[in-house]
Amino acid sequence: MIPINAVFGLGLVVFFIGLFGVLFRKNLVIMLMSLELLLNGVNVILAGLSYRLKSPRGSIFAIFVILMAVAEAAVGFALVLAYFRQKQTYDVDDLRGLRG
Amino acid sequence: MIAQAVFCFFGGLAVLCSILVITQRNAMRSVLYLAFTVLSIAGVFFTLQAEYLGAIQVLVYGGGIVVLYIFVIIIVNLKEMTPERRKLFPRIFIFAVPALLLVQILLVLFGNRTALPPGTEAGLGFPAFAEMLLTTYFIPFEIASVLLLAVLVGAIIIARRTLLHDSH
Repeated sequence: MIPINAVFGLGLVVFFIGLFGVLFRKNLVIMLMSLELLLNGVNVILAGLSYRLKSPRGSIFAIFVILMAVAEAAVGFALVLAYFRQKQTYDVDDLRGLRG
Repeated sequence: MIAQAVFCFFGGLAVLCSILVITQRNAMRSVLYLAFTVLSIAGVFFTLQAEYLGAIQVLVYGGGIVVLYIFVIIIVNLKEMTPERRKLFPRIFIFAVPALLLVQILLVLFGNRTALPPGTEAGLGFPAFAEMLLTTYFIPFEIASVLLLAVLVGAIIIARRTLLHDSH
């Protein structure tokens, strides 16, 4: 029996590392990778709750989270490609075209 | 006992590789560490008896998303980035938000809190999972398939080389 605190800790640490990546890095592609880390951390917590409560509900929610992750990755990369074609860069500091 | 050892191994590997994902300068190395992270999290899912979730994780993340990342990096030809500098206020912000969240995490992990109620529903295996997914969560499941179709169309339209024009 794996203690639920360890699962929570692992999920939160992975989420935390992903949050650091989103906040610190300025490369769009690496920021998208950090978003995947965020979603993976959430999935670990959901699977742990499913294990602890002996119910498949957590796993089902995690499946939906994975679906969202796929959708986000596909649209995010399409946007990165379109942006790269326009500006030839992928640094978020240059993403200031819509600034008022 | 063995399950705990395997959990610790894959959990430690996931944490280590996810730190490497965000610290690498070269984006291609980041992708490879992301693949490591994703596969070790699949191992964590297997130890948590979420076998279907682990299989989906290997197939979708390891087989789909990581390959998508590699293709995009090859297309945009990511080079080493210039050193990343920020102004003072954003720097305070990006340190303060994770620090506060870390405090919250430590409170959750080490504080005393009410115990979770014991499980009531029986079964963790495939039959219970499939039955719940295709009865209770049937409508979200179908909506998710429509979402994926919309994403397919939308991604193709956004990533087109030329813009669409009206024919008339």
